[in-house]
Amino acid sequence: MVPLSFTNTGEKVVVRSICGTGHLAKTLGQLGIIIGIELTIIQKAKESVIVRIGESRYALGAGAASMVLVEPL
Amino acid sequence: MKDIRILLAGNPNVGKTTLFNSLCGVHQHTGNYPGVTVEIKTGKRQMNEHSIIVSDLPGTYSLSAFTPDEQVARDALLTSGPDAVVQIIDATNIERNLFLTTQLMEIGLPMIIALNMCDLAEEQGITIDADCLEKNLKIPVVRIVARKGEGIEELIKTIIRVSTNKTPAFHREVEYPHSVTSHISEIGNYLGAHGTLLGSLSPHYAAIRLMEGDEHLEKMLHEKGLTIPFIDTSDPAERDGIVEDILLARYRAAEEITTCSVKCSMGRVMPGDLIDQVLTHRIFGIPIFLSCMWFAFQLTFSASNPFLVGIEYIFGYLTELMNSVEMDPFVRSFLSDGVIGGVGSVLVFVPSIFVMFLLLSILEDTGYLARAAFVMDRLMHSVGLHGRSFIPFLIGFGCNVPAIMATRTLQSKADRIITIITIPFMSCAARLPVYVLFAGVFFGAAAGNVIFFLYVLGIAVAILSALIFRRLVFRDEPSPFIMELPPYRKPSGFAAAVHMWFKGREYLKRAGLVIFGGVIVVWALATLPAGVEYGSADSLAGIIGQALQPVFAPLGFNWQLVVGLIFGFIAKEVVVGSLGTLYGGEEMLESSLAADPTLHPIIALAYMVFVLLYLPCVAALGVIRQEMRSWKWTGIAIGWGILVAYVFAFIILHVGSLVIGA
Repeated sequence: MVPLSFTNTGEKVVVRSICGTGHLAKTLGQLGIIIGIELTIIQKAKESVIVRIGESRYALGAGAASMVLVEPL
Repeated sequence: MKDIRILLAGNPNVGKTTLFNSLCGVHQHTGNYPGVTVEIKTGKRQMNEHSIIVSDLPGTYSLSAFTPDEQVARDALLTSGPDAVVQIIDATNIERNLFLTTQLMEIGLPMIIALNMCDLAEEQGITIDADCLEKNLKIPVVRIVARKGEGIEELIKTIIRVSTNKTPAFHREVEYPHSVTSHISEIGNYLGAHGTLLGSLSPHYAAIRLMEGDEHLEKMLHEKGLTIPFIDTSDPAERDGIVEDILLARYRAAEEITTCSVKCSMGRVMPGDLIDQVLTHRIFGIPIFLSCMWFAFQLTFSASNPFLVGIEYIFGYLTELMNSVEMDPFVRSFLSDGVIGGVGSVLVFVPSIFVMFLLLSILEDTGYLARAAFVMDRLMHSVGLHGRSFIPFLIGFGCNVPAIMATRTLQSKADRIITIITIPFMSCAARLPVYVLFAGVFFGAAAGNVIFFLYVLGIAVAILSALIFRRLVFRDEPSPFIMELPPYRKPSGFAAAVHMWFKGREYLKRAGLVIFGGVIVVWALATLPAGVEYGSADSLAGIIGQALQPVFAPLGFNWQLVVGLIFGFIAKEVVVGSLGTLYGGEEMLESSLAADPTLHPIIALAYMVFVLLYLPCVAALGVIRQEMRSWKWTGIAIGWGILVAYVFAFIILHVGSLVIGA
């Protein structure tokens, strides 16, 4: 398991855990970034990422990306 | 016949505002990035004997009310008692949108689903069985293409049918696990016994909201002295578990409905992934963005030039005509110096403003702006700003007023305050006429570069201010950046032109009212007391300017420039109008400025810098007060601007004079 900020462009990963339970976790939850969901890493710029879930793309800054723990598929 | 009141709900960027426009015929701005609609806009549509009142809610992903945007949407849905709710769903991304549907259904209001962008879905090989969707949700589904106005008639008929139907709405229910339902019924029963406290909420729905963590509702019930079962008796970890169960149940429901009603053709490519990889590249992203902006600014000036020449010609002709007609000298002075001179000098700059709105609108519609926000986030974050603040900043280049309103999409109060304080440094369209005038007169061929420098300086000062306020005042980190990137779309020339027209018309309206009023005041001050030479040192304007001039002497401004600054507070473009009046008419302004011995290029530059930074206009100040909800912060914003303007103009004048050896 690694934080989303440690993945590479083009990788497919599965969300295993989301650190914290504050507003950030809730916001991620509303966007569909929840445990068990599959993400494709479209872009990785330093520690910021763009991920795709199905048809939606989300940009996560370094802070948010470090809170999502994923496992490569 | 009673009016039918409906609410338009939906995720950000699904075409809500476009549908609102085609429903009500009120054209307003639609943006291809999340967070454009920050207020509830209301319009009206007549169909036979029915009047439909449509309110456009801010786009939201859920009803949890974390941001002011979501609160606005939630409050309207829960307390305004509409006849029906229309949810707009992006047909190319149904599952994602159905998550909100699962929450809207639970409120228990009559609903209609408008399936938007059906043409795009088809192009992408997505087949949607609308009947199946309808049966599954127990909500009528209407296919539309809001952009082309397709299906709108059908949607209106459905709205009328659903909202005049007397039988209560029964939608599909989300199947929660037993752990959740047992608590829902426990809380629901308890609330049912105290039913009158809930207003229009059903006890069942209120129970779900409490379980999800609706702090507002919880607080309200606590104030009435209630002890809510489970909510007040369980520990936070247990409650978090329940929140997650609810979330999962909703996603599962959305997935189930999608699986049975949507078929995607195999092997379809995901358009946009590759474009994203280039445009948001960690090395190329920022240069691409900067070249886009540079190109847009250059185009603004070259494309508007022919129109400029035409307008100047017409106003010159009008002044000549005025001078050839017999009339009272006082009236002649009012018409030619006041009306034609003042308004003309503002109108001359309308073409550049129109072109700028057109270009911004095209960039926005393609979806590029949201990528630019991502590219800029790292930079923004390092100077203590939130990546999302970037969007209000960009809007600020058009007009600071909507930009300040757009800060409502920011979650943390510190992020909002810092963004609002720094927005006025984004050089709005109204400041452009001042630059065009001074840069044109004093810098000739280098005018484009000087103007570009001013825009960059504004950004640099914004960054500096953000750093100072973040490090010294708030001493915390910007909240994390999370943002949806809309799909790339072909910009529609028509939509961009419409947008340009309405934005430009807004500017013209201001030119016609606020600025016209301002120009008349300036004219009166320049003419009175009766008998003085127009705009001379003996006129009221001259007296005021001379009294204040010593304050600005260290910056090298003469009294005419000082008067321009004072009137610039009405609206920044009035600076040009009032200088036009003080220097004896617009058609003479450029040559009079060039001939004024008290002015030289460095003073002109210091003046432009001062105009860029000193004070937002009256309208922007009103919005700052409204959004800050504090006189203290409004005062800080004003004082900071004046201080920064003075310091920078001073530095520019003295360093500049040293450099050119004057």
